[in-house]
Amino acid sequence: MIVTFLIHLGWFALLVLCQALLFNNIHIFGCATPFIYLYLIIKFNADTSRYALLLWGFALGLAVDIFENTPGINASATLLLAMTRPGLLRLFTPRDSADNFTPGINSMGSGLFIRYTLLSLLVHQTAFITLLTFSFTDPLTMLVRIISNTLLTILCFWGIEKVRT
Amino acid sequence: MRNLLNFFFKNGYWFLFIFLEVVCFILLFRFNNYQGSVVFTSANRFASYVYNFSAEVSSYFKLGSINTQLTRENFDLQVENQLLRKRLEQMMPDSSFNKLTTSLSSQHYQIIPARIINNSLNKPDNYITLNKGKADGVEAEMGVVTGNGIVGIVYMISEHYSLAISLLNSKSSISCKFKHNDYFGYLKWRGNDPQYAFLEDLPRHALFQQGDTIVTSGHSAVFPQGLMVGTVDSIADSKDGLSYLLKIRLAADFACMDNALIISDKNRIEQQELESFIVNKP
Repeated sequence: MIVTFLIHLGWFALLVLCQALLFNNIHIFGCATPFIYLYLIIKFNADTSRYALLLWGFALGLAVDIFENTPGINASATLLLAMTRPGLLRLFTPRDSADNFTPGINSMGSGLFIRYTLLSLLVHQTAFITLLTFSFTDPLTMLVRIISNTLLTILCFWGIEKVRT
Repeated sequence: MRNLLNFFFKNGYWFLFIFLEVVCFILLFRFNNYQGSVVFTSANRFASYVYNFSAEVSSYFKLGSINTQLTRENFDLQVENQLLRKRLEQMMPDSSFNKLTTSLSSQHYQIIPARIINNSLNKPDNYITLNKGKADGVEAEMGVVTGNGIVGIVYMISEHYSLAISLLNSKSSISCKFKHNDYFGYLKWRGNDPQYAFLEDLPRHALFQQGDTIVTSGHSAVFPQGLMVGTVDSIADSKDGLSYLLKIRLAADFACMDNALIISDKNRIEQQELESFIVNKP
């Protein structure tokens, strides 16, 4: 119990620092930024309690917000992702998997994992970009940013998964 | 009763979710007018320490380009020095005027050198984090300038760090004028491209042309008069047709900044007090 908490805490610190110092400075074609810190929420075991998910999501978003000077925006988007994650994961859970499996390419296969991350990131990015721009005057730019951020982040997650196995 | 308790126990996470979302939105909406929220920005102690460290590391890799830039600036200054010396010789007979101008420029403004430790370009509201704070004499509403031109205004301060509103921020509005005459307008940023901003509210009868230099007007007491802002890129009419709308190419390169100066007008408070009379008088 304590050990898993410490492991999560380590990932938390690592991902927030990577996001703040490295990935926030990446803007491919002027718009696509990878949201690498969401990897923590994506990877929680399937049987993690909803309360834990929500608290981790809130803390994670707030930590990134503090570095980015966008108070509340990452936090509320990540909170929304943490809230919807159990439902999203249930959609793509393979039939014969254990209750406490860890979402990943190994346990789910590439196809299901990518579909699961795609939907999760779309939820997060839609909330995030909407709150960030706070107007619907330029829907095309918003859409381009949502989709490009999502695709780039999926690519990064896929890379991390491949490296870790 | 038991059913009610069961209901709360089963669906408690909904309440936690709503509670935390409310906290997020309070943070989001109070940030603009609540000075105490400096804790939730990159000017707080831990985040700025991390950024400071990373800026120190990355500045080693920038040394080459900074050197070339310094050499160029040195050269420019030398040329300017020559020019000014010549003009000074011409003006020598009237030495009282010279004394006046030099004393004004040296006494009036206080200058604090600082390093930019964090900066963004692509958000609708961008901020700059600087490694000087209250302890170094920085106060809110001081101007931030780099070698190329002005970049922002200090917004929040902590003990050793400060957060400045970048020119690339929807809240930024700076009074600017032409270098060769005194027609002035307000410089605003409209998002997207970090190289361009817009000069609004410029009267229809103003005289200027494409490529003219825009400098600070000195009306607001944040910046002294005559600091470089940018050049006129293209000319258009405002929506209501009553004034010009100029697209300005900003002189400061926001994508590549390391060192900055924080300037303050020592007489600023006096001016603000005087101006507040106008607002308070019915």
